[in-house]
Amino acid sequence: MTYRPFFAGLLALLPGWGTAQQIPVVEKQLPNGFKLLMVERHNEPRVAGGWVAHIGSSNERPGITGIAHLFEHMMFKGTPTLGTKDYPKDVEIIAAQERVRDLMRAEESIMRDQWRRGELADLTKIETRTDRWKELEKEFKKLIDQQREILVKNEFDRIYTTAGASDMNAFTTEDMTGYFINVPANKLELWMWMESERLLRPVFREFYAERDVVFEERRMRTESTPLGKFAEQFNAMFWDAHPYNWPVIGWPSDIPEISKAQADEFYSLYYQPANITLILVGDFKVADAERQVNEYFGRIPRGNRPPPEVTTLEVPQLAEKRMNADAEANPQIDILWRTVPFRHKDGYALNVMEQLLLGRTGRLYKGLELGRQVANTTWANQDSKKWAGAFNIGAEVKDGKTHEEVENALYEELDRLKNEAVPEEELQKVKNNFAAAAFRRLSSDFPILMQLVVNEGLGDWREVNEAFAKVQQVTAADVKRVAASYFTRENRTVARYSRKAGTGAKADPAP
Amino acid sequence: MNLFQQFSSVVFLLSGLLACQSTLAAPIPDRPEKLSYPGLTFEPPNPADYRVLLKAGPVAYVLPDRELPLVNISVTVRVGNYVDPAGREGLAGFVGHLFARGGTEAKTAEQMDERLAFLAANLNSSIGDSSGNVTLNLLSKDLSEGLALLRDVLTKPRFQENRLALYREQSIAGMKQRNDDSTAIEGREREFLAYGDQFWACHYDTEASIQSITRDELIAFHRKWFHPANFTLAVSGDFDRTDIIARLESLLADWPFTGDKTPPIPTNTRIAPPGLYIVDKDVNQGRVSILLPGVKRDDPDYPAILIMNDILGGGGFTSRIMNRVRSDEGLAYGAGSSFRGGIYYPETFMATFASKSRTVAYATSIVLEEMKKIGENPVSNEEMQTARKSFVDTFSQRFATKAQVAGTFADDEFTGRFANSPNFWKTWRSRIEAITRDDVQRVARKHLHPDQARILVIGQKEEILQGHPNHAVNLKELTANRLNIVPLRDPLTMKPKDKRDPAVQ
Repeated sequence: MTYRPFFAGLLALLPGWGTAQQIPVVEKQLPNGFKLLMVERHNEPRVAGGWVAHIGSSNERPGITGIAHLFEHMMFKGTPTLGTKDYPKDVEIIAAQERVRDLMRAEESIMRDQWRRGELADLTKIETRTDRWKELEKEFKKLIDQQREILVKNEFDRIYTTAGASDMNAFTTEDMTGYFINVPANKLELWMWMESERLLRPVFREFYAERDVVFEERRMRTESTPLGKFAEQFNAMFWDAHPYNWPVIGWPSDIPEISKAQADEFYSLYYQPANITLILVGDFKVADAERQVNEYFGRIPRGNRPPPEVTTLEVPQLAEKRMNADAEANPQIDILWRTVPFRHKDGYALNVMEQLLLGRTGRLYKGLELGRQVANTTWANQDSKKWAGAFNIGAEVKDGKTHEEVENALYEELDRLKNEAVPEEELQKVKNNFAAAAFRRLSSDFPILMQLVVNEGLGDWREVNEAFAKVQQVTAADVKRVAASYFTRENRTVARYSRKAGTGAKADPAP
Repeated sequence: MNLFQQFSSVVFLLSGLLACQSTLAAPIPDRPEKLSYPGLTFEPPNPADYRVLLKAGPVAYVLPDRELPLVNISVTVRVGNYVDPAGREGLAGFVGHLFARGGTEAKTAEQMDERLAFLAANLNSSIGDSSGNVTLNLLSKDLSEGLALLRDVLTKPRFQENRLALYREQSIAGMKQRNDDSTAIEGREREFLAYGDQFWACHYDTEASIQSITRDELIAFHRKWFHPANFTLAVSGDFDRTDIIARLESLLADWPFTGDKTPPIPTNTRIAPPGLYIVDKDVNQGRVSILLPGVKRDDPDYPAILIMNDILGGGGFTSRIMNRVRSDEGLAYGAGSSFRGGIYYPETFMATFASKSRTVAYATSIVLEEMKKIGENPVSNEEMQTARKSFVDTFSQRFATKAQVAGTFADDEFTGRFANSPNFWKTWRSRIEAITRDDVQRVARKHLHPDQARILVIGQKEEILQGHPNHAVNLKELTANRLNIVPLRDPLTMKPKDKRDPAVQ
């Protein structure tokens, strides 16, 4: 296939070449509310298929934090015909399991009461459970064993794998839940069948074992990593009003309390067609795919009421916030500023700024690592989420240097952005890299799919084609103005990490 | 018709077949098996069509690709961590890191970095265990300038002193984190158990070795190993085949020094005795690696091992270990096994997962049970079918882009696979299709001996050994040998920490 160049104006800036590239998306709307995006590419006999639901942790509320992500796991558990040998019995067992779980929840309420009064030290310890809870657990196990006799393990996955599909996975963020897979080009209809069936009639079997899996995921990513727990609390103190302040994986006491009934309710509200965009990239014909999508996904009824949007706006931050942590990690500084959400007009200057700071010719490397020699590692990132955004910079403190020296050096680099116009050549360097990235991102189907999933999930897939031009229009004056408006003292939250005593090398002096 | 056109016409033909699938819509069936699909054939590209023997000695795989205005050049160098002299551990990695970011004789590191960045060109280098790599990805309009820079880097790297000093400090700062993350401890101790501390891959850099490396040693290292006889090239992108070959010839012509022939990779591995090995670490999830002696990838059993391992624990959600440890019991987020055939020496079989401290023993017993079962009874036909298809029907993905084709073929050239079996990929699917259930059971019996397992656990020792009241499993009884408490290593010397030394905890 060939890509057509857009934005001829760039030619003047970039001698010899300089046309960024569009992803040629065909957009369709289904009568029941689904949006469909298609990109035909015939480089390999495969199709990368995915869909994104506009549902993330920011749509949750306290008490059920983590449900959007748990839900992502449940979407692989099958349908009435996939995953069980006896659906009526399966439904019966699931209902019986819920009755036992309700009784267990009543016991958990008693245990929480004991915990509040200080009679139980640790609710996660198996020994602290009430006798009644332990009895009920045995009853529940019996029902699990019964269900296992009629279960067809991971059949959803097996059917795809046996058809030559690969890379099946999903992810959840604060703003979206994305599902994706890669299928042989001749099996596109299988994708239609599998994805429309799990949206039409999902069955949330093995709910409680999967809840345990999610808790292991929390232990793996957050609780047993050197900085995971701290990063979670740092994030929680950064956002005041906005639901971005709880973790996507959920608070530890919420995950084990999420019920299947809550999951059912969640599904019917947030997984309706109007809240989902279907995306196909690869070796197919647009007309054929559209016909099949209408046939398969057209069966799914439009929901009863539209899902509510997140209406909470972050309140302006009035004072600098700081966290001083002792962790099993090298000493480092991490700083966040409130900035702007996806597609905000200032976001492009912030993207430029991020690139001015990063890389082998970036200002942080030159200024802090090579120049002042106060840091060994530095980072910068503009994170434009759907409803709000943040800019992050940070550095690891070099031996013999102080947190203060590093923090001040970081501010000095930001002050230069506020006070001095970026030299034209340096700005052009950054723009050249954005323009080249517009080509590099087109190397194969899967990355194209993921760009569409993420941008659509953030609010509008068109950004994949429009951002590159907007970045090219950023001026040195824009950078100065935007730096001055966001990088202020009262707008920042700072974490200083020191190495926890006794966790260093032999030669390290005790802190 | 040039070679590029021949290949692309294969792809075009396939998409032509797909156009025939517009049939009238039948009612949607209740099960996906009832769907029928149009045919799909895929033939892998033939390496001989792209192989070019350059005058200076190396082989290049050259694949024009006019879709995007980009060129990819990858130079693989026959060198690796195994050539590090004693006391200079980390030297190869040092050279790999600084090579493309330390300037050239003609340009300071700053001048080179700025020019590359302005051109939006990516020039990177690294040296790993068994190969080194220098890559250049740039816009085709800048090809001449990029190749001139690449020639300068390959023949006259500067290894600029301030970059060297920074990397030295970064390396030592990195070492200090060696005991922070249980994943890092697991990866490292697993290597020690699998291959032994006499083996080169377990010779980690230390503060002393990094401090002792001088710029002269980097220069000597470069002049010894970086010469065309040690190179293999993969080149793809927006160019004319004849033109790029001429450019590659001049890139490598008149090399200013001769260099040495790289010695063979030492293969003196020694796996630890069976047993339970615990590193005490205060994290609420224990990480487990179960090890057994492995094979090389040219072992006649290897294709059957691939299928066997896929069914056991390699196939993700269709594998037995994942089904039981994760889906049935909710004991882990990830659980599985790998049985990589080593290229140069046998790589160990490995089953891994992470579970909360109290259920580590129970989950370990399930994994061992599955390792035993797969040798005791034949796998099902359905499992065979799923495993075969997961290899055979995803085959085209290896050749999805021209850069991948070039990379795959250059890798085969480098590792000697092309010389030994030039039709390796052409016949690969039929070798997988030929594996039977008997083969799977036979290789499981031959290679999986759970009673000989080396079980490495990183986590809260006491909680892990205590186990779970609902599951009567004693971790200590799961293996043939005794319990070994493995001390953490001092991160800067890699010597096991001595408990008697009060300065060390």
